[in-house]
Amino acid sequence: MARVPRPRWARRLGRVGDPTRWFSAPLHDERTAVVVGRWLGAGVLVCFLTGLVSHGLQHPGDWLATRLPTRPVWGYRLTQGAHVVTGIALVPLLLVKLWVVYPRLFVLPPVRSLRHALERLSVAVLVGAALLQVFLGLVNIVQWYPWPFSFRPVHWALAWVLLGATLLHVAVQAPAIATHWRGRRNDPEGTERRSLLLGLGAAVATVTLVTAGQTVAPLRRVTLLAPRRPDGSKQGLPINRTAAEAGVGEVSEENWRLRLAGPRTRELSLAELRRLPQHGARLPIACVEGWSATADWSGVRLRDLLELVGAPPGASARIVSLQRRGGYGVSELPPQFVRDPLTLLALRLNGQVLSLDHGFPARIIAPNRPGVLQTKWVTTIEVSA
Amino acid sequence: MTPLRWTLGLLGVAAMLAGVRLLVLGTPSGTPLDVGWWFVGAILAHDLLLAPLVALVGLAVWRLPERRVLRGALLTAGCAALITLPILLRPGPPRNATVLALDYPLNLLGVVAAVLLAASALVGVRRARRRGDAPNATGPGT
Repeated sequence: MARVPRPRWARRLGRVGDPTRWFSAPLHDERTAVVVGRWLGAGVLVCFLTGLVSHGLQHPGDWLATRLPTRPVWGYRLTQGAHVVTGIALVPLLLVKLWVVYPRLFVLPPVRSLRHALERLSVAVLVGAALLQVFLGLVNIVQWYPWPFSFRPVHWALAWVLLGATLLHVAVQAPAIATHWRGRRNDPEGTERRSLLLGLGAAVATVTLVTAGQTVAPLRRVTLLAPRRPDGSKQGLPINRTAAEAGVGEVSEENWRLRLAGPRTRELSLAELRRLPQHGARLPIACVEGWSATADWSGVRLRDLLELVGAPPGASARIVSLQRRGGYGVSELPPQFVRDPLTLLALRLNGQVLSLDHGFPARIIAPNRPGVLQTKWVTTIEVSA
Repeated sequence: MTPLRWTLGLLGVAAMLAGVRLLVLGTPSGTPLDVGWWFVGAILAHDLLLAPLVALVGLAVWRLPERRVLRGALLTAGCAALITLPILLRPGPPRNATVLALDYPLNLLGVVAAVLLAASALVGVRRARRRGDAPNATGPGT
């Protein structure tokens, strides 16, 4: 039987050779992938867990709402700060990891078997989810929303996809990870790899150093590239939504009334509120976008206000804002936050009357809560059972 | 090893399916498809744009002296630029005076300059040390 001549494309392919060998630089190897990958994996895990905390605090559902802790007061500041700091550090980690394994994109034949196809598909899901999550987060914190969908539910759903793809990847690559977890003596690429890792470490340290000051106070002086400067703004605190953005015009000190709706109903003027016992609290305000700052707040304890209208112990509260535009105009405070002596209807910030953009005449400040739930321009407090 | 590996893998698949379910049921009807396009776009932007660009730069600096320090410096400066890019490209004014309140182009230049300076200093120190070591290295003959 005559030999079937190989088609021209196959011969050409033979001459091209193995495309994964086009990349002549060392370090496109398994050991480097494992060493960089474990740092990347740890970062993904930190982002997932801190994201879980943020989601739980913002959308607790009935079961979780009454179980959310009010301490430590800086809990959300720590977890959300870590979320954004780690997310930024993922930029160099992810890109170096992808650089290491990039030649494998060109493996021939592209698909060997069903198993191989599934494996490559799972890697595509992993790469896409990781790139998109980091990109969405990075662009969201500069308050730019170029995508046609809502950020929060998509970031939340993709977080599970990324976590799952990471776990699957670790399972698939388990033998390689086990083989290369420890380095070998006399590794010919040892020096080269150490230099790459030093460079990667320098990149991670640099992007962290120039951005983390928006939440880590001692780094403020080197905050060069963060979206927020945590100091130097009005009354010492950054602002997320101004009164103008929220559709809140000038609030008249004389005409404004706080409506308390419980078993009894009461209306209080600002002067009356100021005559009630005033309490101070030193609490951080921590934004989901990753900036935070501590401030001195003073005003009336929420639980004192609720007692005025005969609220039962264990009541929760619904806070309604004058805000007319944008989300988060209403927030729910579970009982443990209502009872907490640090939860204030704040009238003053850092020794001054609240500015309009900080929520004049009155705003909520409570421990261990995301900034968007610290409702500004409060007009009504409803007692709910 | 194997049962653990299977458990991990199945957990991973379950989490991925949970994510897809959240995406399909937890968002408006057009969103999953939009996310799909952005998902593919993210992969293409990396594989066809960023990675080849980095490979070209690598090809260009591969044979330069002190390429290892150079690689670290380029990686560091490149990442600093990359994380600043959203700020620089964002259209429109910031939402208020406390957002994006810094002089980012100037600061980025400063960071890049500091990285290059640190890399040069590192090279200088290493060369000086090598020169200092050289006479000793020639050994007992001297």
